[in-house]
Amino acid sequence: MSVVPASYPSTRWRRAKVGLFRAFTILALAFVIGPALWIIGGVVVKAVPGWRWNVLTTLSQGTSGGLENAIVGTLLLMLGVTVVAGSIGILTGIYLAEIAPPTRRGRSSGAVVRVVIDVLSGFPSIVLGYVGYVALVVGLHWGYSFLPAVLILSLMVIPYIAKATESALHQVPTSYREGAEALGMSLGYGLRKVVVRSALPGIVTGLLLALAIAGGETAPLLYTAGASNTLPSIAPLHHPVAYLTYYVWTDWNQPMASAHVVSYDASLILIVMVLTLLVVSRVIVARTQRHSESAR
Amino acid sequence: MTVPSTPRSATPVARDPRATGVRRHRREDRAWRIGGRLATILPIVGFAFVMIVLAVKAWPAFRVSGLGFITHSAWQPGNTYGGTQRVHGVLIPQGATYGAWPMLLGTLQTSAIALLVALPISIGTAFALTERLPKWLSAPLGFFVEILAGVPSVIIGLWGVLVLGPFLSRDVYPIVANHLPNVPVLRYFRGSVGYGEGLLTSGLVLGLMIVPVIASTTRDLFLQVPPLPKEGALALGMTDAEVARRVTIPWVRSGIIGATVLGLGRALGETIAVAMVSGSVLGTVAPNVYGTMTTIAATIVTQLDSAATDGTGFAVATLAEAGLVLAIISVVVNLLARTIVRRAGRMAAPVGRA
Amino acid sequence: MTTTLRSGVRLMTVLTIAGALTATGLSTAASAGTKKKPKAAAPATITVEKPAAANLTETGSTLLYPLWNIWGPAYHHTYPQVTLTTAGTGSGTGIADATNNTVNIGSSDAYLSPSTVAANPGLLNIPLAISYQVIAYNIPGVTAHLKLNGTILTKIYLGRITRWDDPAIAKLNPGINLPGTTIVPVHRADGSGDTFLFSQYLARQDGPEWGSGNYGTSVTWPALHSALSAQGNGGMVTTCQATPGCIAYIGISFLAQAQKAGLQYAQLLNGNGQYMMPTAQAVAKEAAQYANITPASGAISMINGRVNGGYPIINYEYGIVNKNQTSASTAQAVRSLLEWAISPKFGNQMKFLNQVNFLPLPAKVVAQSYKQIKSIK
Repeated sequence: MSVVPASYPSTRWRRAKVGLFRAFTILALAFVIGPALWIIGGVVVKAVPGWRWNVLTTLSQGTSGGLENAIVGTLLLMLGVTVVAGSIGILTGIYLAEIAPPTRRGRSSGAVVRVVIDVLSGFPSIVLGYVGYVALVVGLHWGYSFLPAVLILSLMVIPYIAKATESALHQVPTSYREGAEALGMSLGYGLRKVVVRSALPGIVTGLLLALAIAGGETAPLLYTAGASNTLPSIAPLHHPVAYLTYYVWTDWNQPMASAHVVSYDASLILIVMVLTLLVVSRVIVARTQRHSESAR
Repeated sequence: MTVPSTPRSATPVARDPRATGVRRHRREDRAWRIGGRLATILPIVGFAFVMIVLAVKAWPAFRVSGLGFITHSAWQPGNTYGGTQRVHGVLIPQGATYGAWPMLLGTLQTSAIALLVALPISIGTAFALTERLPKWLSAPLGFFVEILAGVPSVIIGLWGVLVLGPFLSRDVYPIVANHLPNVPVLRYFRGSVGYGEGLLTSGLVLGLMIVPVIASTTRDLFLQVPPLPKEGALALGMTDAEVARRVTIPWVRSGIIGATVLGLGRALGETIAVAMVSGSVLGTVAPNVYGTMTTIAATIVTQLDSAATDGTGFAVATLAEAGLVLAIISVVVNLLARTIVRRAGRMAAPVGRA
Repeated sequence: MTTTLRSGVRLMTVLTIAGALTATGLSTAASAGTKKKPKAAAPATITVEKPAAANLTETGSTLLYPLWNIWGPAYHHTYPQVTLTTAGTGSGTGIADATNNTVNIGSSDAYLSPSTVAANPGLLNIPLAISYQVIAYNIPGVTAHLKLNGTILTKIYLGRITRWDDPAIAKLNPGINLPGTTIVPVHRADGSGDTFLFSQYLARQDGPEWGSGNYGTSVTWPALHSALSAQGNGGMVTTCQATPGCIAYIGISFLAQAQKAGLQYAQLLNGNGQYMMPTAQAVAKEAAQYANITPASGAISMINGRVNGGYPIINYEYGIVNKNQTSASTAQAVRSLLEWAISPKFGNQMKFLNQVNFLPLPAKVVAQSYKQIKSIK
């Protein structure tokens, strides 16, 4: 690929540059892979040797005990985010990609939403958490509870879901829509049966990544979900919810060795959760890729 | 989804006449439209709510501190157990005065370090993944980039404070600090190396956190560069380094800039990891790159608790003001990224060299 | 060098078992004085109410958090109908949460500030146990318990004393070979009851230089480049361990960890002009003196008292409770839990307190706390 003709001038320096460039790319990759392995390996090394399976089935006692409540709480928060952010995010994405009427200049409308979504996608999560604490937890007397946590997390991840949905829909070939229309399908019917369906893998992938983000968030949850050593209550208000990142954050510098175990166990479970979500989304992408290639 | 990307211009064609579909589907169409519009309104309402709450909460603090808030350095909660006083009609503890300059500077400094570190690593990684490595290797390695993006920031912070910080301050920083010449700029890399918590460690950890943001976008951009110009350049006798510098990077430059600015946004707002590795020292600017400091986001998470002990509510209002400053920076940065990316998108079409 | 303290901890158990194991050379007369106190506490006739089913929540102080985690399960064992959810969020949110009725009990190392009381007249600060603080340091080659006082500590934290062999320190500690190591003062990064106690000690001992009103859960630290800050008590210990020359104030429940990290701790000047070791005995002495003047509201600073043989940095751990709970049954459960906690027969027995090096409340304070608890409606 990089055969340099001998006639080309000053080859030695150029060869050296090629070597440097190649070394640089590999080194850069090593600087990504290395720390990733270091971080995950560090957690595994600390958590796995003393791992007890009953961590999954016993309640936390704060600085000792299991993490059942935190696992259930994190999953519950993810479920809440799926419902709230999932529905709003996906609908927003569909609206922006398919429904929003074009303006006179040919661009689609919904400019305000686009700006807001772009801005929200980079918005500092702690500021959202602060507002959740001041306005919802304290202001509306909701207390540390499920609802303010889910609302704040949802506001955080709606942009990811909306963007993923929009770009997944943009990748659906125009011919699908034309075909649906030619068959006399209405906008809604065509969306439901043809367009959204073929964009579904992309949408689900976006949703899973958003869940990974929500599940790994700490700062906004500290001041909205509070903390709890019991299983989450069914009530959406006035009852704090446990979550895994809280135990990582609180227990790493507690004095007891049992607290460090809790911290690393929670880290391990979080990493396994995130990996699962990533692998699942990968599998979905891989399967649709095979499908679409064969279709072509 | 490797379905060939549809040209944007084609969508309106698909859009406009579809509404005139079968009559009995009208109701469903309307439900889609209304539902869609409602869904788009909700994020707007949420964002407006956040900004309004921040502004209302910050107002008393703004009346007391004024614009001096972002230029002064003192962070003094005052005598929370002493008397109170009225300043500009706001009840505050005696001696309370707040200035956010050090944390504002800390926010900008850590983010700048993060960008300086993350940009070359990201571009290098993107090249390695798209052009240097065989596919059987680049696919799983690329997955690592995604994993790094997914690792919760509290775990990265844990690693930063327990593993990376001590390692750097023991085995790396002293070598750098002792061997650099005492000249401007490099001077900031000399002196006491501290204990692993501080500006440089925070910047490096942040850099690591934004690499996935920039690298994955850059990789996708590189994949979009058509092969023809690259092959042409190679045929002209360019080395792959020269192709990278003269063809590939210029082709997607504004996309990379946009992704970088998005990464910057993430670095500015990152909270928990920075709270763990920055040292969280209020009111001082780090004397060298190893010095302890704090950022706005880290300050909010570590100080909101004790701010609540201020019975006058001035401390909580001050944190709202700090949050508002951060929010404004973040919004500006994001709008900037948006403009750059959009211009990139517009430019890509007429160039059409492929 | 840790023998003195271990003997002190042992003494605490001795106090309750009333054994004669005072072979460690500590003043027996003093322990005899305090030995009777817990015994006298028993007749305070606390009846723990039998609560209806309830879910109680507690947030706040990270210093009290380990104790709540010991108390909660024990109380739940006796009264399974009540579950307690605890969270170590920090004293400030504990107070704020109790104020807003978002939790039933807020925990705090510091009593409520006048401005908070003025804004929320319904809040109670109920003493639950006694805690204290040590000044720890990491000086290479020094294993002695240095004598330190508020003036020297103020100068250290203001950056006016920068080396361990400073004449002022050397003069106080003759015969100890102090190295020229730079002093690294460490303070808390987060808002903290320990900061409240420490800054109050400085304010009381050296008002002119430190500022007599300059205390709180978060105070203004001078802009010192040699200074470090740390997150939580655990952070104080790990930072100090990694930093030769450091000095740090550390809550007593973290003492074991500090010792394991090789930190040594100081004898402090009390308000009576004596340098005292942080022994359980000295703390009990100080607490006993303050018991007589503790107001019904429980809000009192026990720092730097003029107590013969008293250790100068001790405090009540407070339960911050809103007098008006959301329902009568909740109020009853809160009362029951707190009654259980302060009762020398239950929560205030050494079996629990020993695990975090806390001391039981003196009898008079127990009676006052009980009265406050009774007012929760």
